[in-house]
Amino acid sequence: MNNFAYVKAGSLAEAIKALSTKGAWLHAGGTDLLGCARNEILPVEKVVSITSLKQLKGIAAQPDGSIKIGALTSPAEIAASKAVAAKYAALAQAAAAVGTPQIREQGTIGGNVCQRPRCWYFRNSDIQCLKKGGTMCYAVTGENQYHAIFGGGPCFFVHPSDIAVALTALQAQISIAGPTGNKAVKIENFFISPKKNVAKENMLLPGEIVTDIRIPPVSGTTKSSFRKIAARGSWDSALVSVAVALEIETDGARSVRIALGGVGPYPWRVEAAEKMIVGKKLDSTVAAAAAEAAVSGAMPLRDNAYKLDMIRGAIEESLMAFI
Amino acid sequence: MTEFYDKLEESFRNSFEPSSPPDDKMPPWTETQIVGKRLQRVDAYERVSGKAEYTYDVNLPDMVYGAILRCPHAHAIVKNVDTSAAEKMPGVVGVLTGKSPGTDIPWYGVGYGGGPMQSKLFDSHCRYQGEEVAAVAAQTPYQAYDALKAIKVDYEVLSFVVDQDEAIKPDAPKLFDAGNSTGKPMPNQRGSVEKGFAEADVVLEETFSTSVQLHAAMEAHGSVVKWDGDKITIWDSTQGVYDASMLTFARTMKMPYNNVRVICHYVGGAFGAKLELGKYTVMAALLARKSGRPVKLMLPREDTMLAVGNRPNARMTVKAGVKKNGTLTALQLTNVYSPGAYSGAASVGFLFQELYKCPNVMVTESGIYTNVGRARAFRAPGFPTGAWALEQMMDMLAEKISMDPVEFRLKNFTDVSQSRKMPYSSAGLKNCLTEGAKKFGWKEARAANKDTGHIKRGVGMAAGLWMMGSGGPPYTAEVRMFADGGVTLKTGAMDLGTGTKTVACMVAAEELGVPVENIRILNADTAITPYASSSGGSMTLASLVPAVRRGAWIVKRQIMDWAAEALGVPADDLEIRRDTIVSRSNPDKKRTLEQLFRAKGVMDVIAIGNREPNPANKVVMPFSAQFAEVEVNTMTGAVKVLRLVGADDSARVVNLKTYENQVYGGMLQCLGYGLLEKRVMDRKTGKMCNPNLYDYKVPGALDVPVDLDVVPIDLKDNECNNVGSKGIGEPCHVPTAAAIANAIFNAIGVRPAHSPMDNRTILELLGKKKRG
Repeated sequence: MNNFAYVKAGSLAEAIKALSTKGAWLHAGGTDLLGCARNEILPVEKVVSITSLKQLKGIAAQPDGSIKIGALTSPAEIAASKAVAAKYAALAQAAAAVGTPQIREQGTIGGNVCQRPRCWYFRNSDIQCLKKGGTMCYAVTGENQYHAIFGGGPCFFVHPSDIAVALTALQAQISIAGPTGNKAVKIENFFISPKKNVAKENMLLPGEIVTDIRIPPVSGTTKSSFRKIAARGSWDSALVSVAVALEIETDGARSVRIALGGVGPYPWRVEAAEKMIVGKKLDSTVAAAAAEAAVSGAMPLRDNAYKLDMIRGAIEESLMAFI
Repeated sequence: MTEFYDKLEESFRNSFEPSSPPDDKMPPWTETQIVGKRLQRVDAYERVSGKAEYTYDVNLPDMVYGAILRCPHAHAIVKNVDTSAAEKMPGVVGVLTGKSPGTDIPWYGVGYGGGPMQSKLFDSHCRYQGEEVAAVAAQTPYQAYDALKAIKVDYEVLSFVVDQDEAIKPDAPKLFDAGNSTGKPMPNQRGSVEKGFAEADVVLEETFSTSVQLHAAMEAHGSVVKWDGDKITIWDSTQGVYDASMLTFARTMKMPYNNVRVICHYVGGAFGAKLELGKYTVMAALLARKSGRPVKLMLPREDTMLAVGNRPNARMTVKAGVKKNGTLTALQLTNVYSPGAYSGAASVGFLFQELYKCPNVMVTESGIYTNVGRARAFRAPGFPTGAWALEQMMDMLAEKISMDPVEFRLKNFTDVSQSRKMPYSSAGLKNCLTEGAKKFGWKEARAANKDTGHIKRGVGMAAGLWMMGSGGPPYTAEVRMFADGGVTLKTGAMDLGTGTKTVACMVAAEELGVPVENIRILNADTAITPYASSSGGSMTLASLVPAVRRGAWIVKRQIMDWAAEALGVPADDLEIRRDTIVSRSNPDKKRTLEQLFRAKGVMDVIAIGNREPNPANKVVMPFSAQFAEVEVNTMTGAVKVLRLVGADDSARVVNLKTYENQVYGGMLQCLGYGLLEKRVMDRKTGKMCNPNLYDYKVPGALDVPVDLDVVPIDLKDNECNNVGSKGIGEPCHVPTAAAIANAIFNAIGVRPAHSPMDNRTILELLGKKKRG
């Protein structure tokens, strides 16, 4: 691990400036930065801490019925928030599923959404994989039981965030501050495919910082949930996770959004499954059909075809729980 | 500090020391006041407050930090090591390579029973990712790791093999000139399995396999060393200050034994991986000599997962025959495994030869060297693996003849050791099975309606034993009683976190008739405490506490003789009550210890208690039966263990609390083995995919069943030793994974023949079943 400079930013402008140089990395919760540096997956020259920027903390209901969550808000606070639980159950559940109690207290929602992949080839300092500038993705023919079945190639990592999966189902928007000003993007446009840029997982440019996350208002008949399947009960990445947001009227489902975690390079919307539900009354047949549609187009590798069954099971369980 | 203890030692040697005639028999305790109770550990405060000093916590003035450079390749020849840049790095005080003086030390045996040494401390032929290439010492750990990076190594990278089936092919890369086989398999047969299969009504055959499990002790391996002229003190994270550390170190370095002092008061987990001298200890010593500074060399987590041991894999083909009435007629095991790059594994076959009454048994095991980290002893080496196969096969047989699994095992119960042809001192298996089944509510649970949609419930059980656990000599304890009733107990025995110190104090207090608080124990320091062999094989309690009782009994008898003489009553009419000797028949007749000691002109009474031999005509082994209830989600493959009951026999339970802790820990570690843990090797690079605690999945608090229960099978065993106790640490770790596997079969009708039974395994099995 390299020696690095440490900057504690007193303002957002200062952080953006400090972050705009090569080898500068943001420090928010710091639950994984040191691990990334120790495993030499980041060339760390400078660490820019934004922990003292209090304006980036907290959950606030907005007049238009939406909710704004500061990027430095911890998963623990989100999981315990009544405002979140009342309208966005999927987010509360996803926040509660993050890491361990310590990580949920120390980590941040911004960091969670921007975290680096857990792929064991990427994390191995002895292996120069494609994502780190090497010539090949070792997962293609290697030990790929945890790797992508959707959207993979040329690199097959899966995005490790639980929270981002819930945010995708809830149509969140990411606010970004940077050297060229502020902007806001839909969460689906925030993440990028390895086909576009294999080195990165999101659109952030040097000097850019996620400042908050906004979730639009939901109707009174909207329900949502998040379900995570992992080997261990805590401190584990999802093998498969699923977030569902569903607007149910008496005559059937008006709108549905389903996003999967643990299966692709970003939270994976399964629109084919959503289409099976919209306009229909939710029952076991519809749930099974949606589950089946969700895996259409999946491209499993040698060792991860089990994720197809797992997706079917997780979606069916999630949908049946709304009945 | 050393001088102080040297003087103390000398004063002890000059003290009064009564001798003990070897033919003296101590009667077994009829009833006990302290032994058998549920008592807090004597070092509980130190452990929970952070006062306990582990090797990691030892900091000495002028101390520097060591670090080891490891081969990043699965197989390579080191052509050249250039340390010139590293030596000039800030803070660096010493660098070692295979060319440094004093490093030409043979290491690692190959072949049966260890065999001849085939490697070196730094061997130019690196046979797995993680082999040691160089070591440095620097003023800070960071400087040491920076210096490792500055070492330039010229490797000739060789082709490698990490898969045992590939390794045994004729054209496979060779680890040794003689090839990759550990030796020609030698079948071990009792009776004739062919005859047994012919007599059977049902013959079944199935192949079971297990993955490699890592020890994952909380405290990494490592040592702190300090030279004092030609003498050395080593604080070592070890399972034996004598055999594992001091004696081996002295022989390796060609030093007199008494010039090596090893101390280890607390160990943060070991599980078998710390039963041998560490290369890191020798490297630390060489670096310390080179630099003239004390050296601390603790391994990083990755290194512990690559290079200091594991429980090897196994592929076990089991063929078994049974009669319709439940009589086992034949058991045949063929096991093929890889110990990694060097010898260091254990047989999985003994359970087949011993657990049940069966006249015809054949075991054939063969090992194949591969380019991966070497196996070491791991909690009941071979037994959880053997139980995984045998105990699933037992359930398959029971099902085939429509017999209840508990009934079937009881039917084949024996109180005579099948391999040694002698009766057990206490044959606890029957009690484990019946009392465990009762506690679990086996019959009711087995008959219960389990149909709850896609989440299926099931119950299962498995049995086991452990081949050691008897303890035995040589083992010594020194008991020193002062005139005020205070007692100092000294032993070289380790407390690996099992509660050794606590049970030793309880036994001394019981025998002497004083409260536990009166006993002060000093342990595991070769300069102060008398010899005890390493803590392994569940041998510690059953070796140590009889020696403690013997020492206490000699001290007590001496004091009783003095009191009998002074009071004019027979010695057996007397008892110690704290600091006073009292006549039972006439409580007015009494003397304080102070009065007695003063009359004899002594300040204390000291005795050495030696462990007596084990009974010549009895076999001493502990037994276990465990019961599991699981919930299997057939949609997601998730297995949730709802309930575990351990019925474990260690004969007399000395401390109920530490006994329970052992059984809980044993069951949960084996739960990890069955459900989660697996070393993953990348077949393309020969590197380990998961050398960290995130990707290598040890169970966490949320994976522990809420309903966890133990049934102490507290059998009376007056023959095993003078306390009547057997070891517990390993037998309780043998059947858990197999019990869970049997419960999974009961739930979903699919047999998980391969471990671990993770979501993927379950879903793949269910998928296969669905497709027919």
